[in-house]
Amino acid sequence: MMQDQKSKSNPDEWVELNMGPQHPSTHGVLRLKLKLDGEIVKDVEPIIGYLHRNAEKICELDYYCDAMMYFDRMDYVAAMNMEVGYLEAAEKLLGIPPPERAQWIRVVMAELSRIAAHLVWAGAYGLDLGMLTPFFYCFVEREKILDIFVEVSGSRQQVNYMSIGGVYQDFNDKIIAKIEAFLDQFPGKLEDIYKAFINNDIFISRTKGIGILEPEVAIDYGVTGPMLRASGIPYDIRKEEPYLVYDKINFDIPISHKKDNLARFIVRFEEMRQSVKIVKQAIKQIPEGPYFNPKSKKSLMIRLRGEGEYYARTESPKGEFGVYLVGDGGVKPYRIHVRSPSFKNLSVLPVLARDTMVADMVAISGTIDLVFGEVDR
Amino acid sequence: MNVLTHLAQFFSPLGHYISYILAYLFETIFFIIFVMVVLVMMIYLFRKYMARLQLRIGPNRVGKFGLLQLIADSMKLVGKETILPKNRDDLPYKVAPVLVFLGLVLAFALLPYGDFFYIGSLTITHSGVSVILLFAAIAIMPVGELLAGVSSSNKYAVMGALRGVAKDVSFEIPMMISVLALVMMASGRTSSPLNLESLVSTQFIPYGIPEVIGLFVFFIAMVARASYSPFDMAESDSELVSGHSTEYTGMRFGLFYMGMFGSIFLGSMMVSLLYLGGYNGPFSSDAGFIYLLIKTMILVLISFTIWLSLPRIRIDKFVNMGWKYLLPISIINLIIAGFLTLGVGVL
Amino acid sequence: MLVEIIEETKGKDGRRILKVAKENLIELMTELKKQGFNHLSLITGVDRKDKLEVVYHLHNFESKKYIVVKTETLDERVPSVSGLWSSANWDEREQYDMMGIVFEGHPNLKRMFLPENWVGHPLRKNYDLKKVQYINMDEEGNDYATFDPGDGW
Repeated sequence: MMQDQKSKSNPDEWVELNMGPQHPSTHGVLRLKLKLDGEIVKDVEPIIGYLHRNAEKICELDYYCDAMMYFDRMDYVAAMNMEVGYLEAAEKLLGIPPPERAQWIRVVMAELSRIAAHLVWAGAYGLDLGMLTPFFYCFVEREKILDIFVEVSGSRQQVNYMSIGGVYQDFNDKIIAKIEAFLDQFPGKLEDIYKAFINNDIFISRTKGIGILEPEVAIDYGVTGPMLRASGIPYDIRKEEPYLVYDKINFDIPISHKKDNLARFIVRFEEMRQSVKIVKQAIKQIPEGPYFNPKSKKSLMIRLRGEGEYYARTESPKGEFGVYLVGDGGVKPYRIHVRSPSFKNLSVLPVLARDTMVADMVAISGTIDLVFGEVDR
Repeated sequence: MNVLTHLAQFFSPLGHYISYILAYLFETIFFIIFVMVVLVMMIYLFRKYMARLQLRIGPNRVGKFGLLQLIADSMKLVGKETILPKNRDDLPYKVAPVLVFLGLVLAFALLPYGDFFYIGSLTITHSGVSVILLFAAIAIMPVGELLAGVSSSNKYAVMGALRGVAKDVSFEIPMMISVLALVMMASGRTSSPLNLESLVSTQFIPYGIPEVIGLFVFFIAMVARASYSPFDMAESDSELVSGHSTEYTGMRFGLFYMGMFGSIFLGSMMVSLLYLGGYNGPFSSDAGFIYLLIKTMILVLISFTIWLSLPRIRIDKFVNMGWKYLLPISIINLIIAGFLTLGVGVL
Repeated sequence: MLVEIIEETKGKDGRRILKVAKENLIELMTELKKQGFNHLSLITGVDRKDKLEVVYHLHNFESKKYIVVKTETLDERVPSVSGLWSSANWDEREQYDMMGIVFEGHPNLKRMFLPENWVGHPLRKNYDLKKVQYINMDEEGNDYATFDPGDGW
């Protein structure tokens, strides 16, 4: 009906609508300038910068170990993955490798954080489409993961758990028992949440065939992460350039060739199941030993010097998260640059949302999985 | 005996005309209090039910079990600062919520409520064409919503109002054709088939059994009329902030909110009157109202469950459904009802 | 390769680094794109106090190769590669905003995070952190920056 109109409409008659920084569904502070022709979106211009804290400049004024704090606050729903990303670059630049036990602990925490981030995404996506109940089911599960984080580090979201050369606190039996209790009951609950979405015909009709992202366009715009994997390209940094101990763990990468919203939804749910598999294997294989490198005791940490430059890539729940560190031989970094995946994923929204209806544009911007701490840094 | 004559008897020492005038006045006041109590109870029930489905508890601080929560909320709404947009169209902006509420109360006044112990008949209006009047009263509500959307100087409100008009136009015709089938079936048995009381009283077998298709079409139309999920695209609060009621604050917004819950109750009551037998049942001359209430509340709970579990349909898919599916199905239903009427007449 | 490269090294992270003069940048990038480097992952600027350095990270999906290209400029102008890869569009806007590097040939060079009339480029080493600017919003909903604390939120 409305979509059969050829695009011969007059640009002077397009209405300009501002989905402003405060809006119930833009997942954060995003301002979208829409040009509408009736109900069809002709042009989208995202305006960002409302959460810009210039963490890159602030990190130049602090020591290497203090710059960790700002990374927690970038993608605040998956803080552990951000810390892993920064530490990959910082430890290689400063020359302080973490011991084996710390690496396995980091893998467990990173995968739990990935599950938590995808649960937030699933709940918020249901809210975008009008489903009020799966949101609560997802957040109940996330509360259990945040309980584990409190036990380990003292804080729910902004964890500040990992340090240069290891982690701040060791795993004990209580933590491992909590993680195993969570893993026993989580797969059943995940299937319940999945069925609440997939068995719903209205949900399928709102997501199938909408927001088709061709793989060439995705590569051209620098899109990575589940969006790229749902367009058919099997690119996951945990398999390409394995960091930490991912090469010793057995897991699969879900891809889909359907390229639409439903494909991204299914890919993310499958990633959650794979993360459960990784944590189950890792929990059994944590070796005994020290959990931090003695060269980076608390008293020595602020005297570490770094020279040269290093770029490390890790796989965060949103995509390829890269940290580019330049050191000039001093105790403070000379330049930090963060390659944030949500920033690149957002730049493909004007292409995806052209000639769709307003309701579909909201659904598409939901599957991009934006967290504005990461887009604006 | 009904409410009016009881009240007139009570006031009869004052004279004939004055007692009837006072009886009408008090009856109106009791009726409006009844409607408000029903709305408050519905909203409280909704909040508790929604909370339990979402693994939480719901209001439980204000009063025992949170029963006084709605009174606290109404007091809060009444005491809010009234913010009016600068470029509004003044008279339609202020009249629109009143229109919505007016349509709702008028529709409630036209329904037959059955009998109740000592009081007798609880019906307020005795009109020969109450079906037609009822649909006219229901048709006032979309006018109010359209006025609200167009007179607020806000593009979101205009988009919400336009979507609301598209939705209303699509379901009204199938709804009325379904009721037409009922009237046709009842016309063989009573002399005033357009009177709701006679429609209910001819239901030895509830009309839901021969007219199952009509029941579903009518129920879908009532869900669309009340604008809750899956048909809340006119006020989809993740796309359009609040649709036509975006620029309303305080009690004006409260009137729209009550209009939505009132429409849910009204729709459930109409389905139970027309299709499920209304206030018929054993001892219905003493307790008919209780049966009606039970049937209505079951339908209300079903409506709430549908609201909380389904996502929103896109507007063009709904318009598609209304014209390409609901309308032919309701016409087929009409043809079936015609055959049944002929068959009953022949037998 | 027929393009003039100033220097080729191997970085600390094991990746090839090609240093090139900014006049030959577009030529080198076109050549690399023809060789299959279709994913421009990152554009960064580093302020080396007397010159500005621009770093490009390129990735090839088929052969899984990764290459780093660096160029320098003394007068803050660098040719833009947004005609070759669409992901350069937003990255170059961000570096213009933060570092003040002007990319010639960019279709829409405006500031990305800060309001249009912000004074200075924050990531420069000579940016004065004591001069505080406040952000406010005007009647149409656009942001602007002022030095006057009374005007801010």
